[in-house]
Amino acid sequence: MKKKIVSLMMVAAMALSLTACGSTSNSSTDSSSDSKAETTEAAEEEKAESTGVSITILNSKTEIQTQFEEMAEAYSAKTGVDVEVYNADTDTTVASQVATRYASNDPYTITMVDAKDVYSLADDYAYDLSSEEWAANTDLAIEVNGKLAGFPVCVEARGVIYNADAIEAITGETFDPSSVSTLADFQALLDTLVAGGMEQPVGVLSEYWSLGAHYFAEVYEQQADPESFVNGLLAGTEDLENNAKFNELMDTFDTLIAYNYAKGSASNADREETSMKLAQGDIAFMFGGNWDWSVINQYDYTENMGIMPVPEDTTDDTNTKLVGGGSKYFIVDASENTSDEQRQAALDFLNWLVFDADGNSFLTVDCALVPAFSNIDASALDPLSASVKKYADAGALIANYNYLPDDHMTYVGQELMQKYLDEAMTRSELATAVTEYFKTATPIEH
Amino acid sequence: MKTNTMGYKVRQYLLFAGVTTAVFVMVVIVPFIYGLYLTMTSWDGVSKSKPFVGIANYISAFADSGYWVSLGRTFIYSAIAVILVNAVAFILAYLVTSGIRGQNFFRAGFFIPNLIGGIVLGYVWKFVFNKALVSLGNAITSGNVKSLLATETGAIIALIIVSVWQYAGYMMLIYVAGFMSVPDEVIEAAKIDGCTGTQSIIHISIPLMTSSFVQCIFLSITRCFMVYDVNLSLTNGDPYGSSALAAMHVYNEAFVNKNYGTGQAEALILFIICAIIGGIQVYVGKKGEVQA
Repeated sequence: MKKKIVSLMMVAAMALSLTACGSTSNSSTDSSSDSKAETTEAAEEEKAESTGVSITILNSKTEIQTQFEEMAEAYSAKTGVDVEVYNADTDTTVASQVATRYASNDPYTITMVDAKDVYSLADDYAYDLSSEEWAANTDLAIEVNGKLAGFPVCVEARGVIYNADAIEAITGETFDPSSVSTLADFQALLDTLVAGGMEQPVGVLSEYWSLGAHYFAEVYEQQADPESFVNGLLAGTEDLENNAKFNELMDTFDTLIAYNYAKGSASNADREETSMKLAQGDIAFMFGGNWDWSVINQYDYTENMGIMPVPEDTTDDTNTKLVGGGSKYFIVDASENTSDEQRQAALDFLNWLVFDADGNSFLTVDCALVPAFSNIDASALDPLSASVKKYADAGALIANYNYLPDDHMTYVGQELMQKYLDEAMTRSELATAVTEYFKTATPIEH
Repeated sequence: MKTNTMGYKVRQYLLFAGVTTAVFVMVVIVPFIYGLYLTMTSWDGVSKSKPFVGIANYISAFADSGYWVSLGRTFIYSAIAVILVNAVAFILAYLVTSGIRGQNFFRAGFFIPNLIGGIVLGYVWKFVFNKALVSLGNAITSGNVKSLLATETGAIIALIIVSVWQYAGYMMLIYVAGFMSVPDEVIEAAKIDGCTGTQSIIHISIPLMTSSFVQCIFLSITRCFMVYDVNLSLTNGDPYGSSALAAMHVYNEAFVNKNYGTGQAEALILFIICAIIGGIQVYVGKKGEVQA
């Protein structure tokens, strides 16, 4: 009998510990948000009363997570709205993380996603923001089926990043990016650099997103009508191999390959190393975008840098423009999991970002983002973002094309462009492979 | 009290295993069945609607040549890695049970790689392959040595090397337990009968350790087939997607290319293949077990 009692107790203990494990996540979040609300109420009598409203934000720009958390704390203290910021998991995609939260009926009030995700989330989950005041101050917001769904967090653009100090040290003249807009001029400058002792003046990132979604994507984006060009490819009627833009961009790419410091094992170039070389002036050019500043500024960098359009021998004006636009969008949850008060708090937060001086300085100073709104002053930006802002203000941005098939980046970027970068594939093989790919690709509905 | 009635047995079962069974059903069985259902839909991963498409996903999984290529690659990788992992682990286990000096220190040392998470391990080895080995090679040959990770076969070889380094220590522990379980008197008797050291390993120790082999081979097969973390951080499919193993292909299909249903169907096929191979191996291995 004694044995039986002991074993019963054991079972009870084990079962208890198991159920305790199972339910901790729920109860702890509840209690922590409760206690948070209480502490804000108790501790900050001189500041705003806690409204008891709490909103959650998913931040998918992981490099600004710290700034986000500090901002949330200050914002909570000021407005009484409890803001909790979640960092996107780095081992999964944002879309799958958002999907998990929706599947468990616990979505973020505000979710930061990529342009593409806005389209897939808008119909089911996004709140219509078209009546918001800030909507008039930007033309980069995303509208889906008549609903303004995406609040543009920042502007990002890509082109060729240059290190002017490194160039000027060899040429002895002030570097003017517009002087190398044609391929011949660009090549002449590269030869001067080589003659001056910089043996390999170019870096090319080998990551598939850089090759596929950033460089090769310009082949579509620089077309006069990207939409009909991509549709033509999907229908199999477009002749890519003899397309002017394709050949112009590939001519430039061939030049980049020829002067690449990692030539020989180009498809294995390390992003950190390439950025470091550019920052220190061991190389003078790298294809990239203003987001690369967060990597470059980890090293011994110079402020005398910038982004210029991809040099091209072309008949149109694409070699005077960067490619880019809005990047990362906030969507506000429209489902019944979010209460009206929470939604209002979320809308207030977006307004704060655009119209409040603190909100502005959070975007441009703390996070170093190029604002997508015309009323925000952006004089405090880093050199690359300042370049982007200059081109954006001048209207010299070629729009992103957001409707490439989902597997375009991995297939064209990794399986084709990496091979081309390693010179293991000819241009006509590349054109044929891309053409064949589009015949079986699943188009994005939009 | 009657102890052989159905009711008594059910009560006893619920008393001792009821909670665990419930948890197991909730976190393993239900998601598995739900996953099975998802393979019959064309869900994109986020949308509310999950249109039912029957077996279309399986058809597209079978038609996805990239999947079968990555699966073939996984077979080659697993075959080599499993053999090497077990060979190295067995030799290490033999060495650290043979009574050499400081064998406990060696046991701990060989086991440590297994304590490092796969992602970290991948980045560490990436540095070793790309920087350390390349610099070393350049210094020796004074030429431009290519990193192992920059070539298609090289990347797979690198994956195998890292897997062996990671798993050999863990499997070693199981083999060590196997060696310890072989009774001394049997070895002694063999020696008296004139058995050499090698002969006693082959004819005495190994047959008595069959259960260790069954366990180790099963563990290494399943781990190699499902490997993802090292694959992600070490090569991420580079160069040209030639080192993407099956699990990575499945993940990319589902979450990067947003074909959730197809990815899920491919994952199920991978599971079935893995289960069949593992099952056969355990069945065959168990048949070969002997008692001392």
